[in-house]
Amino acid sequence: MDPAIVEAAAQVALDPTIWIVILASALYGVFVGAVPGLTATMAMALLVPITYWLPPLPALAAIVTMVACAIFAGDIPTILLRIPGTPASAAYADLGSGLAARGRADAALVTALISSIGGGLFGAVVLIFLGSQLAQVGTLFSPAEHFWLYVLGLTCAVVVSHGAPIKGALAVLLGLLVSTVGLSAVHAQSRFTFGNPQLYQGIGFIPAMIGLFGVSEVFKNLLTLLPGSETPTNRHAAAGGISPGHPLREVPGAIRRWVSRPVVSLRSGTIGAVIGMLPGAGADIASWVSLGIGRRTAASSDEADDEVALDDLGAATTANSSALAGAWIPALVLGIPGDSVTAIVIGVLMMKDLTPGPEIFEKQATLVYGLYLIFILANLVLLPVGLAAIKAGGLVLQVPRRILMPVILLFCVLGSFAINGSTFDIGVMLVFGLLGFFLERRAIPLGPVVLGIILGGPLEERLIQVLTAADGSAIAFVDRWPALILVGLWILMLSLAFLRPGRWFSPSSEDVRA
Amino acid sequence: MTRPKAPHIRLPIWMLTLLVLSGCSESEVYPDRPIMLICPWSAGGGTDTVSRTVAALLERDLGVPVNVVNATGGSGVTGHTRGALAPADGYTMTMVTVELNMLHWRGLTNITPDAFRPLMLLNRDDAALFVRADAPWQSISELKEAVVASPRALRASGTAQGGIWHVSLAGWLNDEGLDAGDILWVPINGAGPSLDALMSGGVEVVCCSLPEAAALLESGRIRSLGVMAEDRVQGFLSVPTFREQGSDWTMGGWRGLALPLGVPEERAERLESAIQQVVQGDEYLGFMESTGFNVSPAGPEAFREIMEAFDQQLGVILTGDAFQSVRSTRYGPMIFPGILVVLLSMVLVILAVQGGLRRSSEASRIDREGMIRMGMAVGFVLGYLILADRVGYVLTAGVLLVALLRGLGVKTPVALAVALVFAPMTYQVFAVALRVPLPWGWLGW
Repeated sequence: MDPAIVEAAAQVALDPTIWIVILASALYGVFVGAVPGLTATMAMALLVPITYWLPPLPALAAIVTMVACAIFAGDIPTILLRIPGTPASAAYADLGSGLAARGRADAALVTALISSIGGGLFGAVVLIFLGSQLAQVGTLFSPAEHFWLYVLGLTCAVVVSHGAPIKGALAVLLGLLVSTVGLSAVHAQSRFTFGNPQLYQGIGFIPAMIGLFGVSEVFKNLLTLLPGSETPTNRHAAAGGISPGHPLREVPGAIRRWVSRPVVSLRSGTIGAVIGMLPGAGADIASWVSLGIGRRTAASSDEADDEVALDDLGAATTANSSALAGAWIPALVLGIPGDSVTAIVIGVLMMKDLTPGPEIFEKQATLVYGLYLIFILANLVLLPVGLAAIKAGGLVLQVPRRILMPVILLFCVLGSFAINGSTFDIGVMLVFGLLGFFLERRAIPLGPVVLGIILGGPLEERLIQVLTAADGSAIAFVDRWPALILVGLWILMLSLAFLRPGRWFSPSSEDVRA
Repeated sequence: MTRPKAPHIRLPIWMLTLLVLSGCSESEVYPDRPIMLICPWSAGGGTDTVSRTVAALLERDLGVPVNVVNATGGSGVTGHTRGALAPADGYTMTMVTVELNMLHWRGLTNITPDAFRPLMLLNRDDAALFVRADAPWQSISELKEAVVASPRALRASGTAQGGIWHVSLAGWLNDEGLDAGDILWVPINGAGPSLDALMSGGVEVVCCSLPEAAALLESGRIRSLGVMAEDRVQGFLSVPTFREQGSDWTMGGWRGLALPLGVPEERAERLESAIQQVVQGDEYLGFMESTGFNVSPAGPEAFREIMEAFDQQLGVILTGDAFQSVRSTRYGPMIFPGILVVLLSMVLVILAVQGGLRRSSEASRIDREGMIRMGMAVGFVLGYLILADRVGYVLTAGVLLVALLRGLGVKTPVALAVALVFAPMTYQVFAVALRVPLPWGWLGW
């Protein structure tokens, strides 16, 4: 056995600092992930000055653990309140909250937790054993391939969203159009700003997401609030049901669910790791694509329906956690960040005089093995911390809605403000809250709007890049084989959607199923 | 260390202040509350890293929290505008960058360097050219020959259209007597993705700063043809300058701290001396060296001169005919929204024909009571927007919570209890622990 592995194991296991750091950042991550508006990137940036005074391994431990816990914690408000804590959870907001409404909140949360851990561990294994090989795949991605990946992600959002896909298409296009407001990143020219300097920064997707999901949910709840009755938020809890309450009981079932369907789990994990690895694509696209590919025709009975929904939820949460480790592949192997978090990681490594790149595996083998161990540890720590968070989250549902809703509204205001420290974003949140409320009443899904806002900028950038580099020839979009593979996947996905024409146009036959 | 002073501690401080005020100037108690440092670029980038490090070190010297706020967007317009228009009370600083010299020439804002009172220049990042390790060109003159032989054949990137690295490259071509568009600029947002495109063959040349490319450079996957600096750059001594290769062209970015105009001079000087302490400290120098950021501190006067020099040089490039022609790309800003509008109208027509835009059958009916409750929620947010900046966060949040809870029929004692718990608690978590600059009110919290 490589002596560096033993040394790394000893360093990780015997250093109390690492254990304290891991535990503290796990709690920090759960909080940051569970509050919409607080992002992992922002939490990381707050850690940077602290990491400077920490040795490299604890510094990395803090980052890895925090991000892994944050991505799961984002699922808690998503499932319990239908307010995504992170954009990566928006894909299954309807799916998860539907389960909660039918009294399966604990099952949904524990499935999300176990799948997150499974996905995180899978991603770590991919990073450990296939990192350097996969990094070569990343260099195949030119702007044309990125363009098709974004198109694929958006198409998945259309296909996956409940109800008629035509309404999903409307939602995606609305989101894309919103993303064009402000100073165009490619041309540096202002669009749709109407001379308002505040609009130059564009519509942030975080305040928009909080508005679309959080504020509109508050509106919806306030509309149906019955005067005088102090009912707990969760209908089943009110009826004396078992959920929420005993998350531990759901753990074996959730583990069985993940393990008993190895093909689905491995497929979601692979989708996550590969998408996470690509710069400019991350956990948010990964969960949509995983849902889109894994989507099965819904069975009719309610009981089986829940099982299918739990399977889908597991697939999506596996993918978004796996994407986190994937993002480290190009960062470690090539020194190119896979997302905004790993961009900070590279900064932290450079600060420690460690240059990421192929030679880090030879010169700093102990550190790299230590990092691998931490990836595994972080996901294991997530189990108890996550269960505790689920238990605590369940308490929220015991609070009467008339008290809960004002507090949620306050958190929405704070979350929108926190991202940029700008009151303008609170206004954006309010406008999108009203928009989300009206879209919902017309059964237009909200998740695709968020993905559209997130991907609009990058999609346009790639479009213009390909056109500029090829001097205008449209052939450039399909003249490389990696691009053709993605186009093939895209056509496959479209034809699958069209093969079920009833679903494609019927306005509301499936709306009940969320 | 950052807990706000509780009222009973504040009282003696105020009495002390009154005593002090009777004898000497107000500046004795500056600063007595958190300072906001506006960073016009997003979290995790180079400017953000420098901002956060300086903020952490300044905090110790000043004894109050220094919170970094990422006011991003609009290629830097947002942050610089917010910094210039901030209250001139010495509690808002801005990490200004070279874009301050560029945005106004491009007509994106009317904020110029004159809108700021410079405090300290922190660092300069000179532009450098990079090619893949297997590229045929060994020096900038060989690159130039290749461009002369076949103009518009090579593609370069490093930032968006008209960004600092684009201007650096276009300016060099201009300086060499070539057309600024002879190397095709592919707009890619950020140095990281541009280097990615360099590796995947999307572009042949990347122009960005040396630290941004350090990882790839040290692993030998890319090569630098030269850096547009006066002298070789510390930490990258193997990279030759353009000057050594017979070109006089220098260009690059810079970062520095500045205050809005009109801040009382004693306060500005207090900050100046604190920053001076920080930039001479070992911790700062060690950090900057280990991250590869070049350190070139310059005091207010020198900083102002540097900004003016850059402003002139960039003005010549950005308003010159050569650059104007480069900027007007064939694929204009309305292409993408145009495609979207066409698709959107198609979708809307389909939906209208099949009646899908009607209210969904499951949507609950809106009654009058419900409308009123929803209106109260809207009022909550509007009330926050109006009151928070004047009254302060804790009071606003508390009052609005009580009002909304009462409006929803919660009993007064319960409503008061909820407000008393959540208003201070959220303040502690967001403003103190997470450093979100929640509005500061009359009472100091």
